[in-house]
Amino acid sequence: MRKNILLLFTMLVALTMSIGLVRAIDARKTNAREQFADDRLYLNPNTARRLALAFNGLAADWYWMRSLQYVGRNIVTYEEDHPESFTIADIDLHLLPSLLRVTTALDPQFIAPYEYGAMVLPEVNSDEAIALVNSGIANNPARWRLYQHLGYIYWKRQQYDEAGAMYAAGARLPGAPDWMAAMGARMKAQGGSRDAAREMYRHLDESTIDPAIKEMVEKQLMRLDYLDQREAIRNLLTAYKERNSRCASSWRDVANELRASGLTLEARTGAPLDPSATPYELIKNGCDVGLNINTKVPLK
Amino acid sequence: MSLSPTDATQDPRTPAPLAGAIANNSFSTGMGRTIAIARNAFREAVRDRVLYNLVLFVLLLIAGAIFLGELSAGQETKIIIDLGLSAMLLFGAFIAIFVGVGLVYKEIERRTLYAILSKPIGRGQFLVGKYLGLCLTLLVNVVVMGVGVSLALIYIRRGWDPLAAKIWPAILLIYFELTILTAVALLFSTFSSPALSALLTFFVFLIGHFSGDLKNLASTSSSASARVVFRALYYLLPNLTTYSVITPAAHGVAPDTQSLALGAAYAVVYITVVLAAATMIFSGRNFK
Repeated sequence: MRKNILLLFTMLVALTMSIGLVRAIDARKTNAREQFADDRLYLNPNTARRLALAFNGLAADWYWMRSLQYVGRNIVTYEEDHPESFTIADIDLHLLPSLLRVTTALDPQFIAPYEYGAMVLPEVNSDEAIALVNSGIANNPARWRLYQHLGYIYWKRQQYDEAGAMYAAGARLPGAPDWMAAMGARMKAQGGSRDAAREMYRHLDESTIDPAIKEMVEKQLMRLDYLDQREAIRNLLTAYKERNSRCASSWRDVANELRASGLTLEARTGAPLDPSATPYELIKNGCDVGLNINTKVPLK
Repeated sequence: MSLSPTDATQDPRTPAPLAGAIANNSFSTGMGRTIAIARNAFREAVRDRVLYNLVLFVLLLIAGAIFLGELSAGQETKIIIDLGLSAMLLFGAFIAIFVGVGLVYKEIERRTLYAILSKPIGRGQFLVGKYLGLCLTLLVNVVVMGVGVSLALIYIRRGWDPLAAKIWPAILLIYFELTILTAVALLFSTFSSPALSALLTFFVFLIGHFSGDLKNLASTSSSASARVVFRALYYLLPNLTTYSVITPAAHGVAPDTQSLALGAAYAVVYITVVLAAATMIFSGRNFK
């Protein structure tokens, strides 16, 4: 009995000590992480594929999850230091192209990394994004979705003719929906229009199950709605100024016109609500409209 | 490990002694004796707790893959198949190598081989019986692991997933690869120590997956003698890349019937060669 109590006591003491030691080790790891934050990928994609033997699919999964964690970790770190609104372009993600290249070299038929790269890489390095999706097309020539993603990258670069050509090329593949051909024509005719952008984001939303990409698409659709609303409100404010030879002193002055144009108003102040349901602000002495600091609408 | 009459009396779980089982076998034919040895080798392996631990570990890995998949942005099924089938191949290879190299060595070390070989049984029959016993063990293990992967896929989908059935041709090819590896392990164990046999078999496993590179070297090397050596190695060493279909399986692409048939035929032919060589070496050994 006494022996058991002694053993139990020893276990408890040792366990407590081990917790302390783990915490000390963790503290050192934080420093090490900062020190090696910029570690490079020493492994060439083709070498990685060769060394993976029959386990290349598993290695690709590991690199894929590492890519997601790399982006997620950097977003969280950036958010902690910059609580204001930001986009992917503001974050340093220079290792992402290499990580995605290794992933797709290990498993060239793994579509998710190409799609993720097409969505995120244009903000980091659009040449890398094009190269990645082109390699995806070379390895999976029957996947029309990859043409859709390549079209998106060219659209982001404002290369509307190239974007249209990609949509048209994808539309010729078996199983491609009719809207691919329509998008091809629309890109060439009115690539820079908001309607074209809205349609493109809607199709991107349909094509993905990745919550991060869905959130990005939702924000971009919100931004497009905001641009439309801003234009409508500006017209109303200009018309008010022309009628009364002064700018509006409060939202109540233009409440009827705002309501008539289909905008939702806040009950207390009568201010129109932006697509994230945050009230707009009257700026420049009531002559212009601006976003509230708490809005979730992205600025770019 | 084989069983001497003394072993059987000491351990109540022990099946009938192998030598006795051979003598009393109702099929007093060559095939009957081989089957008796195979059955005994299977029983031995089934009693080995290490095997259960390995299978349990793989099943835990498959269960872990369900949670790991949640970090993969919608790629759960791919992660489960990749991890499940890779674990099946890796741990299957461990079982094939480490149990395979001990099949003959343990019988010699415990001197039970003398009791067996004093019965009317050939050394070749003994080797083939041992080999078939381990293959049966591997088959049971692979089926258990495969069912684990299928159940994990069904769990993720909350219902029937066609991938749960589509992975089985890939599992069959993994099994063929393991049977080749077992034969190689058995071959090495007939003339060297277990440690060296395990190491050599592991090298064969590695080189077998680089067989494409051997072929490339054979065609691109500038030296004629090097070309001959590489070509000879390419044909002599097992071409295990034929059985590497885990990645396509994870994308729902099953090997076609012709690939399966060719894979099976290659395995049978290669195993015949290796077991014949093992029998030749084993027959030439002097155990006095």
